[in-house]
Amino acid sequence: MSYPRADDADICLLLEGTFPYVSGGVSSWVNQIIRAFPEIRFAIVFIGSRADDYGSMKYALPDNVVHLEVHYLYDFTTPEKNPKPRHGDTVAFEGVDRLHKCFRHAGSPDPALEAFRAIAPEILPGGSLPEGDFLHSKEAWEIVSKGYREQCTDPSFVDYFWTVRIMHAPLWKLARIAHALIPARAYHSVSTGYAGFLGALLHQIRKRPLILSEHGIYTKERKIDLFKSEWIRDNRNVFQRDPTELSYFRQMWIRFFEWMGRFCYEAADPIIALYENNRLRQVADGARPERTFNVPNGISLKRFAPLRALRPATPPPVLCLIGRVVPIKDVKTFIRAMRRVVNQLPEAEGWIAGPEDEDPGYAAECRNLAESLGIADNVKFLGFQKVDELMPKIGLTILSSISEALPLVILEGYAAGVPTVSTDVGSCRQLIEGLEPEDRALGPSGAVVNIADPQALADAAIALLGDPAAWQAASQVGIARVERYYTDDLMFAHYRRVYEKALAAEDD
Amino acid sequence: MAGIGFELRKLLRKDTLAGLLQAYAFAGIIGSGPWVLSIVGILIIGLLSSTVVVPSFLVTQFQTSVTYLIATSLILTGGLQLAFTRFVSDRLFEKRDEIVMPNLNGLLTAVLLAASAIGIPCLFFFLPGFSVVYRLLMLASFVLMCAIWIVTIFLSGMKRYKAIVGLFALGYTITVGAALLLRPFGLEGLMAGFVLGHGVLLGGMWLLTAHDFRPTQLIAFDYAQRKSMYPILLAIGVLYNLGIWADKFMFWFFPDTSEPVVGALRASIIYDLPVFLAYLSIIPGMAVFMVRIETDFVEYYDRFYDAVRSGGSLEYIQDMRDEMVYSIRQGLAEIAKIQTLAVLVTFVAGPSVLDALGISSLYLPLLHIQVIGAGLQVVLLSVLNIFFYLDLRRIILGLCAEFLVLNLVLTALTLWLGAAFYGYGFTLAVLITLVTALGILDYKLTHLEYETFMLQ
Repeated sequence: MSYPRADDADICLLLEGTFPYVSGGVSSWVNQIIRAFPEIRFAIVFIGSRADDYGSMKYALPDNVVHLEVHYLYDFTTPEKNPKPRHGDTVAFEGVDRLHKCFRHAGSPDPALEAFRAIAPEILPGGSLPEGDFLHSKEAWEIVSKGYREQCTDPSFVDYFWTVRIMHAPLWKLARIAHALIPARAYHSVSTGYAGFLGALLHQIRKRPLILSEHGIYTKERKIDLFKSEWIRDNRNVFQRDPTELSYFRQMWIRFFEWMGRFCYEAADPIIALYENNRLRQVADGARPERTFNVPNGISLKRFAPLRALRPATPPPVLCLIGRVVPIKDVKTFIRAMRRVVNQLPEAEGWIAGPEDEDPGYAAECRNLAESLGIADNVKFLGFQKVDELMPKIGLTILSSISEALPLVILEGYAAGVPTVSTDVGSCRQLIEGLEPEDRALGPSGAVVNIADPQALADAAIALLGDPAAWQAASQVGIARVERYYTDDLMFAHYRRVYEKALAAEDD
Repeated sequence: MAGIGFELRKLLRKDTLAGLLQAYAFAGIIGSGPWVLSIVGILIIGLLSSTVVVPSFLVTQFQTSVTYLIATSLILTGGLQLAFTRFVSDRLFEKRDEIVMPNLNGLLTAVLLAASAIGIPCLFFFLPGFSVVYRLLMLASFVLMCAIWIVTIFLSGMKRYKAIVGLFALGYTITVGAALLLRPFGLEGLMAGFVLGHGVLLGGMWLLTAHDFRPTQLIAFDYAQRKSMYPILLAIGVLYNLGIWADKFMFWFFPDTSEPVVGALRASIIYDLPVFLAYLSIIPGMAVFMVRIETDFVEYYDRFYDAVRSGGSLEYIQDMRDEMVYSIRQGLAEIAKIQTLAVLVTFVAGPSVLDALGISSLYLPLLHIQVIGAGLQVVLLSVLNIFFYLDLRRIILGLCAEFLVLNLVLTALTLWLGAAFYGYGFTLAVLITLVTALGILDYKLTHLEYETFMLQ
């Protein structure tokens, strides 16, 4: 398959594991942004793990994507068949050694960032730190074996050795990508991690601005992956193992991504978060506060505003959870809450609108739970539903999730005049109670409850559904809030300013 | 040689003097290989028949004939031995034991054809005017020797050392006995004894091998595929054997040091006998080396690579590396001790031995220097063996080439310098090659972890 090619572009998007090969929230957002600026010529660098992990494109490429290149970090090609012993550049490896010392040194990250800036360009083709030297030189061996001796608490040297290799090898691949990439007037990464590192490298060598938009927090998500991953080995025996201490290889990976994040934050300006909690997290991870701000996702009012007129005068006593039936959405808490709601409002119904095929076992458990609580008639599993058709028939949108970022479903509900009851995760408190003083002055557009607290969830829902005045008030606040802060027009306007500034910037 | 280490350890674990002696005896026989043994055989035949065969010139003719047979057959098959050993161990590793024997038959067929193709013209070029019977016996011996070198490679792997030792005893008893019985028939009689004895030896070894491998088909030629043979091993085998024999051939064909014995075949009595005597002195050294390398070294070698593969700590990996180095050092030191002993014995017994063989005591210095050279050759062989374990084939090839060139150049130099320098060429060539080899070994072992991990 051939990709569009160009000699240069305005904005180069650096996309790791998202658009156009993976569908999901971030990918849809990227699609939305590209289509919102037809006058801007976009280039896309897609970075994947291995070619086998991806099928065909999940999105049609917009016409203003003039250039697309696809790279896979873990499709290892052995550059040398019979490598010969060699010496690396002593100065370069001293720099590497210094950099790793700085990593381990608690305190100000500035020396590490400075050492990084000095060493990073050397991994580019033609630099003093080529991949062959990393893989085969005696100096690299000295650093790796010293690192193992001085730091590693896991006994297995061969695992340490390969962890170091696999961790670092993609950096040279990224350097080659950066070296060969067509010129662009600004770079825009939608995550830190490897794409963020590529952005930092491009910013340093091409002297053009790097914009960073984070939907989730890459470093945090990677940490969750790493805690769960079983492929990272732990070779300590029962005497060596301290259960409070993470396997050293996990720690290595976590530190690696933390520093990758820092390099990216250091190079990026602006650093855009989706909502306030994430912005604070970015600052805690090393982003300079003055470069950060929030641009929330926006929705199209045109699509949802007409739905308000379709609802009956009294709000239907229907609580609706819109989302996939998977453990992270904690559907069981919603079902338990329904028991209490039905006790008070016997005609109330709980709808669960979302596909069940991702985790069929969990879906079956949910159905059994509804049955054993005796509310099988009140709790309905609807499968995937069109949001536009659903909104006029429901009284509340419910989120019982244990993790969310900025759920569009709350905003879509607001636009259609439906208040929400949600757990206190991600941006939900900000969406319901407001963020800045004027926003807060509007009042609550629903209620926020703790996670895994069915009683509180039920009580909050009953309070709204059982009191038409309160419901009406929350509905009006929701409409006002989404119109003032969360429309797509607002989001596009924000990014228009960001892009205009970056495109007009002088070379650094 | 993978099998022998296990057997040796078993014997040593008995912790009795008899077990120890047995271990060293096996190691001596397997380690020195049949070619030292066949030299022993020639010398015995020579000693025994020199008193009874008249004229004694016949004995010289017989010894010269056999020496040429050994030298040429080793040079012809040396490479095949190494390459086919590798082929066999690869197949055994793949658990395809059943195709080993058919391939042995295939290889023997090819060797038989090649040896005949080379041997028959030689009969006309080098042995004109000799009886047809003698010439046919020479051809038969040549083919037999070539075949024996090939089958020999199975000896250590079969773990039936008693049967093998018995077989060799039988083969050589027949050789010597038949030669003595047939001595009235002159040179032809002696050669017929040789052919008979070696025929029995080859037949016995072949039957043992066939019994152990239980072939499912008669013949196969899988070994001939390029990817299953290692050309570099072929080259190593040829170069090594050429290197070992280069000085001898030069002495045979240098007019001052040689005389025609059988047709175009010349011999250098003053050089050959000291050389063969010197080779006898390496048997204890080979035994010691075998025991050290196949037990201690291999044990730590296995642990080293196990630790690398299965996640040992770097300290442990380096400890095993150090233990490998220590066992090599230990082995080389023991070889040095035992060879020194052998040298001292030769120095003491040399005059009377030369006297008994009827060689002028003027050539005593030659025997001395040859014994030292042979002792050094044991050490060189040990180091080459370690390189084989570390799979450093290119280095072995380089060392063999170095040895061949040095032996040619330095021997030529000593021939030009005169009788006082005879023997120094070979010994110096071994010494210089050994120093190079030890230098490389030192470097390789120092950087073993680096090269194991970083050059993959």
